[in-house]
Order: sequence, then structure tokens, then C-alpha cells
Amino acid sequence: MEIYLDNSATTKPCEAAIVAAEDAMRVHWHNPSALYKPAMEAEKLLNQARETCLRAVQATGNRLVFTGSGTEADNLAILGHLKGIRKPGRVLISQVEHPAVAACAQEIERMGHRVESIAVDSRGVIDLGKLEAQMDGNVRMLCVMQVNNETGAVMPLREIAALRDRICPDAALHVDGVQGFLRVPLRFNGSGIQSYAFSGHKIHALKGVAGLIVRRDVRLSPIQFGGGQEDGWRSGTENMPGILALGAAVEAFPADGAARMSEMKQRLWDGLRAAIPSAELNGPEPGSPESAPHILNVSLQPVRSQTMLFALEGEGVYVSAGSACASHKQKVSAALTAMGCSTRRADCALRFSLCPDITPEMIDQTVETVKRQYGLLSAYVRR
Amino acid sequence: MRELLLVRYGEIFLKGLNRPFFMRALVKNVRESVKDMGADVWLHDGRIFVAGFEDLEACMARVTKVFGVHSVCPAIEMEKEDFEAVAKQAVSMMAGLRGTFKVSARRSDKRYPMDSPAINEELGGRILDACPDLRVDIHHPDHALNVEIRDMCYLYVRVVPAVGGMPVGTNGKAALLLSGGIDSPVAGWMIAKRGVKICAVHFHSYPYTSDRAKEKVLELARLLSESCCGIRVYIVPFTHIQMEIHTKCPDDYGTLIMRRYMMRIAERCAKLEKAQALITGESIGQVASQTMEALGVTDSVVSMPVFRPVIGFDKAEIMETARRIGTLETSELPYEDCCTVFTPRHPATHPRLDRAVEGESPLDMDALIEEAMQGIEIVEV
Repeated sequence: MEIYLDNSATTKPCEAAIVAAEDAMRVHWHNPSALYKPAMEAEKLLNQARETCLRAVQATGNRLVFTGSGTEADNLAILGHLKGIRKPGRVLISQVEHPAVAACAQEIERMGHRVESIAVDSRGVIDLGKLEAQMDGNVRMLCVMQVNNETGAVMPLREIAALRDRICPDAALHVDGVQGFLRVPLRFNGSGIQSYAFSGHKIHALKGVAGLIVRRDVRLSPIQFGGGQEDGWRSGTENMPGILALGAAVEAFPADGAARMSEMKQRLWDGLRAAIPSAELNGPEPGSPESAPHILNVSLQPVRSQTMLFALEGEGVYVSAGSACASHKQKVSAALTAMGCSTRRADCALRFSLCPDITPEMIDQTVETVKRQYGLLSAYVRR
Repeated sequence: MRELLLVRYGEIFLKGLNRPFFMRALVKNVRESVKDMGADVWLHDGRIFVAGFEDLEACMARVTKVFGVHSVCPAIEMEKEDFEAVAKQAVSMMAGLRGTFKVSARRSDKRYPMDSPAINEELGGRILDACPDLRVDIHHPDHALNVEIRDMCYLYVRVVPAVGGMPVGTNGKAALLLSGGIDSPVAGWMIAKRGVKICAVHFHSYPYTSDRAKEKVLELARLLSESCCGIRVYIVPFTHIQMEIHTKCPDDYGTLIMRRYMMRIAERCAKLEKAQALITGESIGQVASQTMEALGVTDSVVSMPVFRPVIGFDKAEIMETARRIGTLETSELPYEDCCTVFTPRHPATHPRLDRAVEGESPLDMDALIEEAMQGIEIVEV
């Protein structure tokens, strides 16, 4: 049995998404901007998918711009907002952001703003005390992710918005929700969030489609120019197969998905802890409100994560070492370092990320496999 | 009239009576290098010709990488009888050039009505008339139009330098210990350049090294094979040996004993291939296992000569060569190779042979090597 526990890297497209994409290619392939009837039909479906996505995070009535990736959505939210701000100020970005946000820093500084990072505590959750001390009226924008992609830490968005309202009410709050969308509940309306990015391929839709939800009274400057699609916010002919698949995947995502994953994550952590007493948890305690239901990050010293990853792969269990997006670079994880993990501990960190289809049998088999490989490998490490 | 490549060879020219042997090997290797482009390769009148390709630049890029080729000239082949047509072609090839030029004619067909100086003069005059931006300089011209009158007429201006060396397969065969790092591909390339056919031996330590690390090594072999006319890669499962060394041998001799096992296995592979030597990418003092004493201790387990062409290079020089031959980027991919997995913190830098022999005595050498040999995977690239 193959057990895929790398759902934070990408997910398997669900049946509903595949059917919707095929339908978009076979039937509704017309350009939704055209004037004839089949095109209008395509446009209608496009807007249905838009409404479905907005509804999923209680954002009805706001704008949703479809983009080509979560990265593009984040870039549009940040650069598109700051382009419209003349007066230079401070931009606060959490220490553990995904590169889609963190790597904007250089561009932001080129625009004349100063980028500063927001510290996290040893669980990887934003330290509200430090943030409060850091904030003043010159803050133009705050960028905080909903769920950290490496540790599964859920960020206190409500508290951050409240601080913002009190200290710098004009500052925008952008939330990268790529790892949180559908898996951690969010009520966009009334949250104080200006923009929220999510991605299709993390929720069993397709790669190459994502979205940015923007509060209805906000106007961003586009960062891509052309035919004026998406009301001029994101030019380029709409990716119909991707968008319809995204709508279908959102509808198909099980209502009890988060609860199921949460239970499986707890089972996995309990199992690993029992099998390997020295296992160290990187991130908030499973079951706590700061712990996302689907990501578990564990260090199994002294076995290096790469070694364990390949050993598990040999038995059909797929996990990742830190974050798959960065693991080609063989760098110590920035998130784990920010939490105060030693290099050695970070070097042994494994990320298990679940989806609603994971069964107790899969979890038990994973624990069994990790336990066996740990027994074999921990005896042979660099002294 | 057609476009073709005139291939010029270097060192073979110095050969005596056995020159045909080297020429046949070179033609075969050039032919092999452009086989999938549908190009024809033939030897005529002491020259190698390539024709029938669709993309001249792509074809030339391949041919310039074949060891033994000194330079390649994209040329026009045409009938020599109609001198007017030849002159017209000559003028069109020089049109748009600036600076100085000369015409350099060679007439191997002595029955041709004009002799070489006459051709130079006539074509030179017409080019001067047609191209106002060109002046004649017969000693140091910016551009030289070469005209060769053989059974056909050949005209060319561009001379593209090639890699040089000797045709692969004319100087025996050797086995390269290919790790995935920067040095070993350079070492293999340098020896292959002397006409040596190479095969590669790679040690794979799953799960300490990944399939990606293995793919990286195969990609390096593939890059080398463009010049080396194909490489057979022996992938040796090495984890068990490393684990045995790790548990049973003294820590400070671990890397050295591992190197001794690699050499033994590489020699076994070399013998299977009927190769006569081993090649490594070692450079004196680069790491602990490459001090002079350490090299002596590793060498003592094999009877074949061990070539270390980068022995006197420093790292920057090796990297520069790697960049030039196109292997650097792949070598720098960060997948761990088997040499670094179990590296002891304090390896012996001045090892003694008797200690190494004693240190590895607890291991069942024959059984371990036999097990590794049985598990070998062979990949042709």
C-alpha cells in the first residue's frame, strides 16, 4: 500500500475536480469573455466557481481574483497594495512566511518601504507581545500566514487584526491561506483581513490555479497587464479547466475533513511518541487550537531527515523533509531556526501532512514503518 | 551546392603509419555523435565531412565536442567548373563583414585552369569591389575566405575551435570512480580526451543517498558521454559495506577503509570491462583521504595503475574546467553522496598502511565485495 503523507506539497486531484476539468475542456472550452451563447455559459460557470470559493470562507460579497498560483496571489496582494501607497513606511512580515511572501521583501524595499520580521515563539506561533511592541502608526502592511506550511502552527489572526485596529488602523493585513484554506475555519467577513490567498492544488484541485480574495472596498494595482480579464485585476484568458476544477474541489471537500485529519494527526503523534520516546515535536501540541489538523512536524534525532525520507520511500511511505518547496536547496529550515531549534534537530525534522482520506490503518502502518526504520538507521549515524 | 561541415583533426596528424587506425576511430566517433540528427559522415581526401543535417549550429556543437577534432568549418560545397558562380558565392559570404580580409586558395586538383595565386587575386578583387567595408591584409586579416579546389570546390570563412585530444577508443580503456562531485567528471573527461574509452563506477548508499543522487550521477555520465562516445555506468550498492565499516572499524580510519573498498570494487569492475587502469578525481591534500599518505594507503589494494589527472589542480582550477566542459552545474546539485554520509569528525590525515590493514581485519572482505558485485546495476548512457 502506498501512503502519501505529503499533502502540504500537493494533493491528489479529486474525482469531482477531474470531471469538472474534463467538462471544461470538452464542453465549456469557449472564451468566457466572448459574446455568444456557449461563451456566456462558460462565464456563468466561472462565476459559480467564484461564488463557491467565496462562500467556503464566508467571504460572499467580496472580490475573488483567480490567479495562476498561490505565489502569484500573494505577490498581487502585497505588491499590488504597496504600489498604491506613496508614503514610505514599514512592512511587517512574519519570520516563518512561505517564500511566496518572504521573497517579496527585496521588491518592497525597492519601493522605498522598510521590511521587518515578526517573531514567533518556540511553537512557531506569532508572539503577540513582541508584535505589539513592534507596531506603530508607520506600519503600512502586515503579512501573516494562516497556517505555517512546515509546522502546522495556526496564527492568531483575530488578535493580530485587533492590534492593527488599535495601533495602525490604516495598515493592510494580508493572509497567505494556502495551507489553511478549508482545513482551518475562517470567516473572512468581519475578520479585518484585507486580502487572502489560497491555492487549488493543496485542496485536491489542479496545479496552475489559485485565488486572491480582496475586501470589497479595496482596490489593488495590477501586476500583470493585458486584455483586462478579472476586471483588469489579472489579465490573461481565464484558466477554465483549473477554475471549474477548483470550484468542484471546494464543493467536494468533506465537511468533517478537518475533524478526521485532526484525529489522524493525533493518532500519528501518539504512535510515534510511543514507538520512539525521543521524538521531538516541532510546532504546537496536536489538539490545541494553534495546531492545524493536517501537518505534523517531528524530529527523530539522530537520523537525518533525508535518510529517513528515502528509507520510508523504499517502503511506499511518502513524507517530506521540512518543506518540499525548499528541500532541493539543502538549507536548514528558516521556520525551525526561527523557533529556536538547533541545526541538528532541524536537520532531522520530518513533515507528515495529511488529507481527509487518510485512514487509521495508514497511520498505524506509517508508525510501524518509521519505528522499524528508526531502529535500523539510528545505529548508523555520523559520530 | 550544399552546406556541410569540414572537420579538421589535430594530433592525429602527427601519427605515422598507423594514422588510418586513428582516422577510422575518429570518423566512427563523429558519426556516432550526430547519428540521431540523420547526418552523413564520410572521409574523403584526408578530410572528414558532415552533411545532411537540419540544424547546422546544433550539429556543429556536437562535432566540436568529439575528442580528436581540432576545429570545424561550416562550408559551402559547389561545382568548381563555373568560376562565375564560385565568385558570386565568395562575395555573398563576405558581404556585411568589416575590417581586413584575405583569400586563401588551395588547389589540390592541379588540372584546374587557375592556380592558387590567380584564384586569390581574382576573388580578392571581386570582394573588394563588392564590399566597401573590407580592406586587404594578407598577414593578419580579420577574416580569411578559404577556397579549396578538390573534386569539388569548398568555401569557408568561419573556423570553430573544437575540443582537440585523441579519438576515444584509440588508447585503451579505464574505469572512472564517479561520485557526483565536481572533481571526478573532470578527471574522467581529461583522461578520455587522451583517447581512452571510459566506464564509470558509482557507489550508491540507499537510503543514505537518494534516487535523485543516482540520477544526478547518471546525468553527469550522460554529459561526459557526449565527448566519450557512450559510457557504461556500474552502480554498486554500498550501504552494507559502509555500515560494516562504521560498526567494526576504527572511526579515524573509516573513510580510508571505505576508499580501499571502493578501489577494490572498481578494479573488479574494470576487469569485467577489460579496462587497464582506474581514474579518480583526487587532488593532493583536498580532504583527509587525499593526503599523500592516504593516497598511498588506498593505492596499495589495487594492482592497476591509478590515474589522477587533477592531482595538481586546486579546487578553483577544477571548478573552472568543470564549468568549461559543462558538468559544474549538475555537480553542484545538493544531493548528498556516499562519501560524506559517514565522514568521521577526526579522520586520520597521516594514516599508516599497517593500521589500515589491521583496522579492516574484522570485516569479511571477500563476502562483502562479492555481495556488492552481485547487486550491481548497469546503466548505459
